[in-house]
Amino acid sequence: MISLKALSKNPFKSLLIFSSITIAVMAIFLISSVSQGVIGMYSKMIKTDGDIIITQKGISDTFFSNVDISLLEKIDKLEHVTSSYAMIVGASPIGHIPIAGIYGTTANHFSHYKLSSGEYPKATEVILGANLAKQFETMDVNIGSKRFRISGVYSSDIGFEEGGVVMNIEDAGALFNRSASFILVSSNTPNEIDNIVKKISNLDSEIEVKTTQNFVKEYNQFKIIENSSFVISTLAFAMGLMGIASVMSMIVNSRKEEFGIMRALGKSRFFIIKNLFFETLIMSVSAYLFALLLSLGILAMLPHIEMLQGYVNGTLSLSTALYVLASTLIMALLGSLIPAWVASKTDPILLINQGCA
Amino acid sequence: MIKASNISHFYGLEQVLYNLSFEIKEGGFVFLSGESGSGKSTLLSILSTLLKPTSGELLIDGESVEGIKNIDFFRQSKVGFVFQFHYLINYLSVYENIALAALEEKKQNINKILEELGILELSSRYPNEISGGQRQRVAVARALVNEPKVIFADEPTGSLDSKNSQIVYGLLAQAVKNGTTVVVASHDMQIEEYSTQIIRLKDGQIL
Repeated sequence: MISLKALSKNPFKSLLIFSSITIAVMAIFLISSVSQGVIGMYSKMIKTDGDIIITQKGISDTFFSNVDISLLEKIDKLEHVTSSYAMIVGASPIGHIPIAGIYGTTANHFSHYKLSSGEYPKATEVILGANLAKQFETMDVNIGSKRFRISGVYSSDIGFEEGGVVMNIEDAGALFNRSASFILVSSNTPNEIDNIVKKISNLDSEIEVKTTQNFVKEYNQFKIIENSSFVISTLAFAMGLMGIASVMSMIVNSRKEEFGIMRALGKSRFFIIKNLFFETLIMSVSAYLFALLLSLGILAMLPHIEMLQGYVNGTLSLSTALYVLASTLIMALLGSLIPAWVASKTDPILLINQGCA
Repeated sequence: MIKASNISHFYGLEQVLYNLSFEIKEGGFVFLSGESGSGKSTLLSILSTLLKPTSGELLIDGESVEGIKNIDFFRQSKVGFVFQFHYLINYLSVYENIALAALEEKKQNINKILEELGILELSSRYPNEISGGQRQRVAVARALVNEPKVIFADEPTGSLDSKNSQIVYGLLAQAVKNGTTVVVASHDMQIEEYSTQIIRLKDGQIL
């Protein structure tokens, strides 16, 4: 097949196209995957731990929310409620680490963190996420202005938690000067969730009660991350695709002489376009697959890079992969076929002379 | 065989050919001569259908070039080209370069032509693996493969030494003997000894 011959006999040009497409596709994958991953981690953290979330009314971020922890007693007494727990989320310097997530929780939620060594924390004790623990060899650690004993190490499949610290909610309350950031409530009766939401709302006028599904959908931070990641991904996407189109266009323009010779020999425009179509298709699909493999490899490595403390995770959805594949093919084909079509309409001798220039 | 009437051509605002009219008879060896810049290459490109003239009419084998519906098939079946710099496709072997130009039913002739031109043993080599003279012989083989009515050659020996030049002229003269019309644009006066018709150009006009 002439397309394969053209690719194999021009290894430098082929490598240039292959690398350009690979890098462009990887940039698109990694930027969109990492932003999807951040949202995915936080929403998973909330969604998997309860059906209902209670935050302070009118607060845009759980970091600033302060809910009265004494509500727990009243909530536990409501019909169809199986469990509830309170949590404080914050961030603080930990030892020599400039910033890490702090999770203060009621004792009934400790079992969520799977201990790989030691025991769950008592007062003035903490357990460290596996990624964070790798950076401490001491038995104590300074968090903010206080010193805590490290009682154990836990693991979690949520990156934020792997790089964080878990402590009793009372200790976290003292650190961050609040009662609880939010309360999560579980029920084993899905049909009653809306009723429970209403009942909890009536308990305190200063709270906002939502199902975790709705909370994740409406959470401002997610909207900010989603919007900014959309802008960054779109720019990366546009730049990547324009890069692919311009590389293809340059390559085609550098082959005008060849197209002129073919036209002089009586080869039709269709013959030239068809061969270029297959060349572009072979190149873009193989570069896309290579970029996909590399991206998946990098995304799999990200949670294990100590420096990132597990905070950077990526999720590559099938829809993103397919969308990028379709866009890559369209842009590569447009980038190559449009100049080829324009060139094929030029007088062959002019093409040959342009090719020589 | 070829009838040109009032052929003029402009590159942008610059006129390079002025109302040229002439006829070329079938089976002739035509020499388009002239200094550099006289317009002979442009005229050859127009005669060979590789360039549309700005004005004028061109008939080849009784057919108006403007009216040809399938110009690709016309070029492939009736016309052969030999360029100064051979213009072989670098990623195709000698055999594949000739096969690219060959009509399906003429592909069986490839080895015979390569043998006649003494380059059969080069058939699997690539253009960058053979000498300049050998490349030009491959270009001649490519022009001959479809047994065209007419072969156009633009400075076919421009990049060759005198020995290889003689070989190429000999091959073109042999094509004339076999009934093909050959039109050569060159400033090499050696061609005169082979030619049956000479068209001399100066500043885009026939002298």
